Amino acid sequence: MVSIDLAELSVREANAQLRTLGEAGEVVEILNPDARHHIGVGLTAPINVNVQGSAGYFCAGLTDQACFYVSHNVGWGVGDNMYSGSVVVGGNAGAIPGVAIRGAEIVIKGNMGSRAGQVMKAGTLCCAGNANFMAGYMMYGGRIIILGDSGERVGEDMSSGEIFVAGNVQDLGSDAMLTDVDSKEIQSVHEFLDRYGIKAPKGFSKIVNAGKKLRYGTPETPMRSIPFNTFSGDSAYWNPKVQEDITVKAQSGRYRIRGYGGARPLPHLSDIGFRKDLTQAGADRDVVSKVRMATEIGGINGARPLKLSMPVMIAPMSYGALSRSTKYAIAMGSAMSGIAENTGEGGMSDAQRDAAGQLIFQCLGGRLGWNIHDMRRADALEIYISQGAKPGLGGQLMAKKVTPELAEIRGIPSGIDLRSPSRHPDILGADDLVIKVEEFREATGYEVPVSVKLGAGRIRDDIKIASKDGFDFVELDGMQGSTGAGSAEVIDNVGIPTLPAIIEAIEALEEIDARDKIQLVLMGGLRDGVDAVKALCLGADAVAFGTSVIVAGGCISCMQCHIGQCVTGIATQDPEHEKRYQPEVEASNIHRFLESVRWQIAAITQALGYDDVTGLNRDDLVALTPEAADITGLPYEPSMAAASREPMGALS
Amino acid sequence: MSVYGLERISVPMSPPGFSDDTSDPHYVPAPCQVACPIGTDAPSYIGYIWEKQYPEAFEAITATNPFSSICGRVCDAPCEPACRRESSDGAVQIRNLKRFVMDKLGTDLPKTRFEVSRKETVGIVGSGPAGLTAAFELCKAGFSVSVYEMTDRLGGTMVWGIPQFRLPSGIIEEDIQRLQHQCPGLTVHLSTALGREVSLDELKERHDSVLLTIGSWWGKPMGIPGEDHPNVEDGVSFLRRINAGERPQMPETVVVVGGGDVAMDACRAALRLPGCKTVKVVYRRGPEEIPARKIELHHAQKEGIEFVYNTMQTGISDLGGSLALQCVRTEAGPPDEDGRRSPVVVEGSAFEISCGMVIAAVGQKGANQALDAAGLMDVDRVRTDFTTMRTADPKVFAAGDGAFGGSTIVMAMQHGQRAAYYVRAALENIDSPIPYRTPYRTRRVPVAQDLKWEQFALEEPVFHGVGEEPASFPEIEDTYDETAAMREAARCYRCDAETGSTDYSVHHREDLFSMARTHPKDVDKHQAMLQRRLSPRDNPYPAERPASLDDLVFLPANLSRLVIDPYREACRIDIDLGPDLNLKQPFLVSGLDDAPEEIRQVAWRAAEENGAGVVSKSAPNGSVHWLQILEPGESGHARAAGVVQQWYKSLAKEDPLQESHRLKGISFANVEDIDEVVDYALAHDYDFLMLDSTGGQGSWRNELASQPRFELLSEVVVALRQRKREEFLTLIFAGGVRSGTDAARLIAMGASVLTYGVTSAIAMGGEIHDGGIRWQSDRTPEERVEGLKAILNANAGEASMMARCTGKTRLHNLEPEDLRSVTLTTSSTVRVPVPGHNVTGRHGTP
Repeated sequence: MVSIDLAELSVREANAQLRTLGEAGEVVEILNPDARHHIGVGLTAPINVNVQGSAGYFCAGLTDQACFYVSHNVGWGVGDNMYSGSVVVGGNAGAIPGVAIRGAEIVIKGNMGSRAGQVMKAGTLCCAGNANFMAGYMMYGGRIIILGDSGERVGEDMSSGEIFVAGNVQDLGSDAMLTDVDSKEIQSVHEFLDRYGIKAPKGFSKIVNAGKKLRYGTPETPMRSIPFNTFSGDSAYWNPKVQEDITVKAQSGRYRIRGYGGARPLPHLSDIGFRKDLTQAGADRDVVSKVRMATEIGGINGARPLKLSMPVMIAPMSYGALSRSTKYAIAMGSAMSGIAENTGEGGMSDAQRDAAGQLIFQCLGGRLGWNIHDMRRADALEIYISQGAKPGLGGQLMAKKVTPELAEIRGIPSGIDLRSPSRHPDILGADDLVIKVEEFREATGYEVPVSVKLGAGRIRDDIKIASKDGFDFVELDGMQGSTGAGSAEVIDNVGIPTLPAIIEAIEALEEIDARDKIQLVLMGGLRDGVDAVKALCLGADAVAFGTSVIVAGGCISCMQCHIGQCVTGIATQDPEHEKRYQPEVEASNIHRFLESVRWQIAAITQALGYDDVTGLNRDDLVALTPEAADITGLPYEPSMAAASREPMGALS
Repeated sequence: MSVYGLERISVPMSPPGFSDDTSDPHYVPAPCQVACPIGTDAPSYIGYIWEKQYPEAFEAITATNPFSSICGRVCDAPCEPACRRESSDGAVQIRNLKRFVMDKLGTDLPKTRFEVSRKETVGIVGSGPAGLTAAFELCKAGFSVSVYEMTDRLGGTMVWGIPQFRLPSGIIEEDIQRLQHQCPGLTVHLSTALGREVSLDELKERHDSVLLTIGSWWGKPMGIPGEDHPNVEDGVSFLRRINAGERPQMPETVVVVGGGDVAMDACRAALRLPGCKTVKVVYRRGPEEIPARKIELHHAQKEGIEFVYNTMQTGISDLGGSLALQCVRTEAGPPDEDGRRSPVVVEGSAFEISCGMVIAAVGQKGANQALDAAGLMDVDRVRTDFTTMRTADPKVFAAGDGAFGGSTIVMAMQHGQRAAYYVRAALENIDSPIPYRTPYRTRRVPVAQDLKWEQFALEEPVFHGVGEEPASFPEIEDTYDETAAMREAARCYRCDAETGSTDYSVHHREDLFSMARTHPKDVDKHQAMLQRRLSPRDNPYPAERPASLDDLVFLPANLSRLVIDPYREACRIDIDLGPDLNLKQPFLVSGLDDAPEEIRQVAWRAAEENGAGVVSKSAPNGSVHWLQILEPGESGHARAAGVVQQWYKSLAKEDPLQESHRLKGISFANVEDIDEVVDYALAHDYDFLMLDSTGGQGSWRNELASQPRFELLSEVVVALRQRKREEFLTLIFAGGVRSGTDAARLIAMGASVLTYGVTSAIAMGGEIHDGGIRWQSDRTPEERVEGLKAILNANAGEASMMARCTGKTRLHNLEPEDLRSVTLTTSSTVRVPVPGHNVTGRHGTP
């Protein structure tokens, strides 16, 4: 038995010791825990930890194999995302005990707080006392045993798993129902209780998903996109697009769903231009070697930064929305060009990890595919708050794409219309976020950067919060960002465009004198080196490309991503369709696209008179439209747009 | 222009008189169109086929191609390898689709005829694809053209080189007849050979220009000992005999030397002739390098032709009754400059193939003694400058295989087009014309609405091979039937078509494709691409564009304004209008006074079942919430939950409506009336204002005719705010509300209830027609009820989704601060700021 006294050590030091002791298979006693947060976070060895007292938030979070005993109470999120292993709490637990567990056994001898077992995937959460409201909220699998009363709205929006309640079932949550209990299940529950020395009550009620909301009702009449690039304004107010929308919705009774980015024109980087004449840009045959582009992102707080060969990375896109082969090709292409790839929602595959040089691992509210082992092999971690295409809403993955394999990596039932939660269970405000960031840092030994993905909305406020919450960088996504599936109305009408997003972000940080406290990566409808340089001039530290990388890698922009039968094998999980995609070929296409971006960045930077991209600044730009001038505060120089060659004609 | 070449990025100008569809904002020709030497608008005709618009498809096909029927059968179809679906599950079978259309309409004679409009005439020597295409183009331009053909038929290689099992003779006739019908200025002189029946000088005298398209009519020798044996023949001569109708008795085994298209035709023709049992093709490289078109190779293999790869012929010996073709094995040598590996002989690998006949298909050459004598030949071709198509004689031009060596029908046709352009330029005395480029047209056909397009596998036509009576040369495969043609047409990606994404329009996605196919060291291409990418777009919001609801976007809740549970249906949308009047959905159906009775019944039922309401003059059945629009002087119906008076100037002087037990409101349409209306309504305890933004009390005709005046809402809110009476009047916004998003925007701006007029009409099955709504008896009343309920539900869902995105749990908690405007005009009209620089709540100035 080894003792660690938290009266003498910080939690960070204690956790470092626990990791070492874990390797040695020791039994450890934690003294004077003083309800501190993050005790035991990130342990992945079979170790017994006895906490003598009460623990704070996320005790035993992000662990595998370890067994914890806490003699008194625990705060929020005990056993967060725990794989195998166990936690026994002698007293009460705060909110979201057993959140997102993937196999662990968690036993609370007292009462437990609200939303117990939220988004849990597998394992058992047992409470000997009463549960508070919404136990089993959005659980995807596993078992909750409540020996006391259920609390209100038990099983709210659960999609799978079972909840056994011995006391009163106060009321059922949305899409939950009572069902018969069979004797085998009871036997299994009794065995569990025996194992933890808990006396079994007489009988149980069993609550499961009622299956009414797992799939959308009337399917929307699918159709191939018809180009409606003109919305109202100079086109007819009741244009064909409007009529089509009404007709389709009058059949489905629901908002329309589609993939891809915005349909309509918005003020964009295209509406600003360069002050200098760039007709000779790139005349130097060797411009790439003469402009310094190497960029480090994420190191400002001491973590190991991403080392990018140019200020460019890949935007987060999920395996799920995209096929495994596509994620693999992007990983290869990004590695060939020396930039970072991002997992997006839904987990990391070995192939992707091996192929990507540097990989950012993204964590969403559903914790789909999120786990300590992949965190450990990531080069950066990212907390998704929202995305430009559909800020304020969760992801959508149509049942067609939720294959058994995909369901396995995400830890969810297959074949459901997966609507990811729009909020994190444990991030209800900026203050929670600070603790969450710290949990990630504890789990990874403070070695890798932690970023936040933000869809652009009230970015003037949000960016200040992000900078105070201790993130190393922010991935800021304007409303031109794309998605694999989302509400068509949200894609086109929620959020602010990429151009004002970067302006507001920079201005807000300057207001609080914090421009150097966080790095900014801009994304959302950026397509080439020209857009990249404009973003850098406006103050971004780097940019990210998503859709344009997909297009470079074979996407034909048919906007049918949500259907799941992607003709090119990109946005599909159908093996027959995925076979059509040649990852090696497309990886080299993606690589050449990125090299083309590199060439463009170098050529423009040099033509603007710099030998380093960090020289780029606002004074290099002018606004070409009144809107762009108003949005950016740049001088309005319409004459610079005289050579316009991309008319916006009406397509009816 | 190559599919991903530099020219495609910085597209050269099209020559005068030839038009691309350059007015099309997305002008980027599809890869298949670029790959077609004559720029056939394949995507459009494929789209037309799916639409079953066959005459339109026929027009698109024949517009640039006088040999459309022939090409439908035997074109080498360079479009297909360029097809982007090739790398996925197989290229769209463009040639077979063309064949399908031409089989249907090939004998139709187009209405357009090209009358002679110029005095100059052009003489063309040779009537192959190059010559006749040039003739077609020159006739189009109004010249008289005389074609001199040494054989007794028009068509050149197309007639003499392609066996009938691939190209039945009737097919050729179709094209020739169409050509002659369209070109009344075309005179044909058959059996008239240059140097025999007519001399070059005579032609130069008769015509203002002469074009030589003599073809490469003669087979090249193999250059090996023994090839002068009578049982050794060159491929083109052999095919010529067969195509003239001969069906010679063949030896049991025939060897064809060569791997091109002539070799394929020759080997397959030989196999069909009497006596022949085995045909072997000897080719000096491997199966990967064989130049024959894949489909021909595939068919030849299917028919049982044997391929002997990596083998080079070295001699032929007569074994008395049979021949022995002496060969050596080869292997791929080191790659040359172009990366092509020349075959090198493997030492000690000599062997013999025994056979009865050798057909040498190792290349063709042109020859003409008269041209030799005139000094115009360069060994086996007419010496021709490709940039001008001119020969050494200023009056004489040349094109096709006879000028540039063996090629394909469609390449020869391109030469014909090109030559016609330069001949025309010369006749118009233009010394240095703009360089010729194949023009590209697009007919902007909608994409096929077949949802299986992603899944349909490539359609293989039924293949018969040699058939039951091989020597009669029955056609090898069938034309698609309509079902197969439609399935195949549906497979098209439609690379030419916009799909509705502004940021990834055809223009942008093609640029991205090109960037992804540019070698990092190809600086010229990078430079051209950069200039293209630097060119700015037109302002999407020109000054004359009116304010629009579409310009208002919602600010989502992220780190600020986080709420715990905005997920799914957790957002209230109902509203209390009065003590006993709760609208479960904050919507009224409007415009019903113009509707047929059946439609009104439908609307009443749907609105009642959904807990929404109606606003109309006529009284509804049932117990649906009804706001009655009063005619001046009319009093309220007992059944009405509320009454709406229409504002007129003198109303201000009249006594207010006395309604104590139900709601009363005023409807008005003019911004100028706001102060008076608001004062009157507040002074006399009115409950609501109906902002009739399109006039006519929500009439559908008015709604369709006018741009909604959104400032009515923002200005009423300002007026109420100035009077510090913001919550005193419920605002109902009528006119121009199309979606739940529109509803949410108007609610954020201060409205509480919206009317759906035209939106409801469309949902009930009405169509916009002639400024009004047209009804057809295409659905039952029940279906119409379901349609209206569905749109109200969908819009309620959409509106609540907008509210949830902004972090609200109640729709009516939306506020103006949840909005931003992306245009200055809308910003100043509805008083919503533009995001970005220094947003302080001030509004943009248009």
